[in-house]
Amino acid sequence: MNAATTFFGSEGSFFEGRLAHTRFWTYLGIIAGMTGLALFGEGGYVEDNYLFELFSKQGATWLAGGAVLGFALSFIKSASKFRAFRTAEMFVPWLDGAVVMLALMGIYTLFEPTSAMITYEDQSNLVSGRIVMAMNVLLLFSAICYIAHLFAPASFIGQLATFTAWAGVYAGGSALLLRWYESYLLMGGDIGHAPVSNLYEVFILLFCVICVIYLTLESRHQVRGLGAFVLPIVAAGVFFSIWLESIGQADIKPLVPALQSYWMKIHVPLNFVGYGAFAVACAAGAAWLLRNRIEQRNPNSAMLAVFPSLKMLDQLSYKAVAIGFPAFTLATILGAAWAAEAWGGYWSWDPKETWALIVWLVYGAYLHARFSHGLHGKTLAWWAVIGFLVTIFCFIGVNMYLSGLHSYGQLT
Amino acid sequence: MFSFNQTLKPLLTRFGSMPVAILLLVLLAVASVIGTVLKQNQDQADYLHQFGPVWYWTFRALGLFDMYHTWWFLTILGLLMASLGACLYRNVPRFLQEMRNRKGTLSDNARKHMEYKFDVTFDDKDKAVATVKSSLPDWKWLETESAGTLWLRGDKGRFHKWGYISVHTAMLVILVGGWMSVQFGFRGNMAVPEGASENEISYLRGTGVEYLKMPFEVRCDEFSINFFSTGAPSEFRSKLTILEDGKEMMSSDIIVNEPLYYKGVRIYQASFGDGGSDIKMNLFRLNGEGTVDVANTKVYTKFEDPYSDVSMEIRDFRPYNIENMAAAGKPKKFKDMGPSVDFVIRGKGLKPVLVRSFMEPFYLEDNNQGSMIMISKTGDARDFETYMLGLDFSNKKEWALFQSFLNRLPRTEGATQQDNLAAFRAALDEVYPDGRPDDLPMLGNRVIQSMQVLPDMPWPFVPILDSFDQTYYTGLQLAKDPGMDVVWIGSAILVFGLCIMFYVAHRKVWIKVVEDEGKVTLQVTGLSNRNPVAFEQEFEDLKEQINTAYKQGAS
Repeated sequence: MNAATTFFGSEGSFFEGRLAHTRFWTYLGIIAGMTGLALFGEGGYVEDNYLFELFSKQGATWLAGGAVLGFALSFIKSASKFRAFRTAEMFVPWLDGAVVMLALMGIYTLFEPTSAMITYEDQSNLVSGRIVMAMNVLLLFSAICYIAHLFAPASFIGQLATFTAWAGVYAGGSALLLRWYESYLLMGGDIGHAPVSNLYEVFILLFCVICVIYLTLESRHQVRGLGAFVLPIVAAGVFFSIWLESIGQADIKPLVPALQSYWMKIHVPLNFVGYGAFAVACAAGAAWLLRNRIEQRNPNSAMLAVFPSLKMLDQLSYKAVAIGFPAFTLATILGAAWAAEAWGGYWSWDPKETWALIVWLVYGAYLHARFSHGLHGKTLAWWAVIGFLVTIFCFIGVNMYLSGLHSYGQLT
Repeated sequence: MFSFNQTLKPLLTRFGSMPVAILLLVLLAVASVIGTVLKQNQDQADYLHQFGPVWYWTFRALGLFDMYHTWWFLTILGLLMASLGACLYRNVPRFLQEMRNRKGTLSDNARKHMEYKFDVTFDDKDKAVATVKSSLPDWKWLETESAGTLWLRGDKGRFHKWGYISVHTAMLVILVGGWMSVQFGFRGNMAVPEGASENEISYLRGTGVEYLKMPFEVRCDEFSINFFSTGAPSEFRSKLTILEDGKEMMSSDIIVNEPLYYKGVRIYQASFGDGGSDIKMNLFRLNGEGTVDVANTKVYTKFEDPYSDVSMEIRDFRPYNIENMAAAGKPKKFKDMGPSVDFVIRGKGLKPVLVRSFMEPFYLEDNNQGSMIMISKTGDARDFETYMLGLDFSNKKEWALFQSFLNRLPRTEGATQQDNLAAFRAALDEVYPDGRPDDLPMLGNRVIQSMQVLPDMPWPFVPILDSFDQTYYTGLQLAKDPGMDVVWIGSAILVFGLCIMFYVAHRKVWIKVVEDEGKVTLQVTGLSNRNPVAFEQEFEDLKEQINTAYKQGAS
């Protein structure tokens, strides 16, 4: 492999080789710059000012410094090892996607109504609400297409399903970013905060996470049949979030003091990477169980051609847990770190904490069953499904039925 | 005599086994569920009310009201630690052995059962071997001669077993850290009124409250709250001074999420409340004489009325009462109802009720609707009902007008509308000799409403908040946690171990180099402990890669 192809990737692709590697490290540098600004920036971390600080002179210095540092670092890592690019190639599309979402958000802001039409009391004029509605429609449509694809396996329907799911992800992600910006338009910028502070917002985040994890698996392993199980889960969530909006839970509200911390931006999204991955694992488990049933009852069913093989489904379910479990563990540890800083102890046996532990034990046991006992197939498929039910209770049930220190997730 | 090998070892093996571990994990999970469903550390009287005596005493005997500190729950955690230790004791030497020993050869029978294998044939032995090695550049290679045949063994991710070892060690370290926290640390609350100091924390243990003296005193110099316009607090901040033997050691501001650290103890801003504000209330006597008495009192004290047997137990003071005035589903409209005081009013023949008395009258669209109070018959703040009193009691002239009007009303039956109106005019002339007030129609309405409401009052007076001097207390949480750093170290090891476990696959290839009539055949066999889908692809590619690389090397 000569230098030119190494630099531009084996096929000169934007997402491969040196180009991806350099971009990846530059992104990492920018993220490090953002972290540095939050931790060491002049004036300290102020929740309702952070977003604007990023665009101030100080913020620009931190970001540009990080970017340059990352860019430089990318050349230190030996270019001769082609494998070194693999991590970058894996993550760079996601980070590119984030940049696209940021750009979309920038475009939406142009359509924001004049400040006279936006008040805290009446938030119905904000653009993000409309984008979220578009996301809802796209995801519901995608779910229908995926299910239709099972029965009418025309490639066109499948492509449409994948395309609308991606469109939904971009709509949701950019709407969330826009909501972050919009929170600064209310009450004279006093209540600005990251859009991960209530059930409605984290639901949108969850849809995006589930879809991104699933769509990545889909493109890597050509398993479009699985979408008919993943997207309906998302669709159910969409209905729930529409209901939340109808009872007035979609408003941007000020943050209680306990949540005014940069930890929120790390702890919450990481937790939802875990939840989202467990949802995909559940879908793969359900698909396994259904395929198994169809194979027994009607081995010649045309539907089987669309389904991934049992072995593949078993693997996908495990892969999803392999994404979710470390993310969930890290999220819980970081949550403990935050608790140590805000509540005076890293573990308080608060219902949410305890249920997070239970979820962790369930998936820990799943992994033990798989590796120590060599279990595969049916038992683990059921385990993934039931594990997700426990996860749902941890996510929503605890907020609705049990009180505790995490009560800001409650419906009011 | 018992020997370690005969007695303890089987026990350890049994204890470190998977079924025992699973059983313990399930027990832990189930017990944890109980603790979340049954609210922990509530008032004992509430529990008794909720469950009735039989279940209350059963639950209490089992320690379910403070379950996470009961001996049996701690025993589960202890057994889990023992099980983890036994598991490590049993497996670590084996894992280390496996990682060190790499068998260079593979029996034909074993190869037959392997899934991933292929043969390729080349001309030049040395070049073929070199090509294979360069095709998998990061792999560790081992060459073995066995019965005159050359074997190559390649490994990638050989140290993945460190993943298992670190994850299980990490769990043990975290549990040890937790035990250290409980054993050598403390965590409790103290409430310090502004200007006062405190050196004792209280915490719940079992069904009671325990106290612990700190080696220093905490003084609250100042407490302040900022509010959002919705009435929700946006920040609370305490200015604290640490005193040791009366000497000021340090001063610092704390807010939520930014604690203070002093001699191993962290001091957190946890809550706030009324620190015994001075309250002045006007008592408008309903004795027909229009007397107004003053009640000077404080929050958390009891005011005894000297002229009757009625007492007021002051519970709380609120400087703001911001409410959403809009109907549900309509855009929100926030309005500050002004300061209020909460008290329980008691007396002979009176039903004790919780009262919230507001200082300012209630305005609707700039129209003065008169003073209001809220009454909760259950004593629960959620059951407050609003009562409009008619008069604006913040204006003493209105009270005088009301009294004057009441006294002038004709007592006889059959008094006409005309007579009443004349009485009202006369009262107006008396109270407002310099001309009629501006909002006369509204004033009239207020007086008429009062005529209907006030005579029905069960109390001998109408208590209205007049003025206040507010003092807060700051609710602090103090914690010392010597196990915390151990927990963080354990957590770091845990995440590190999980990453190895999940993202490093141990992949092996064995290559038997078979020479035959000047040709050399490589019998390649592959094995991966994880991610077979990726490995299958990788193994397919390897064949292609070896062929291409060999040809490129030849040209």
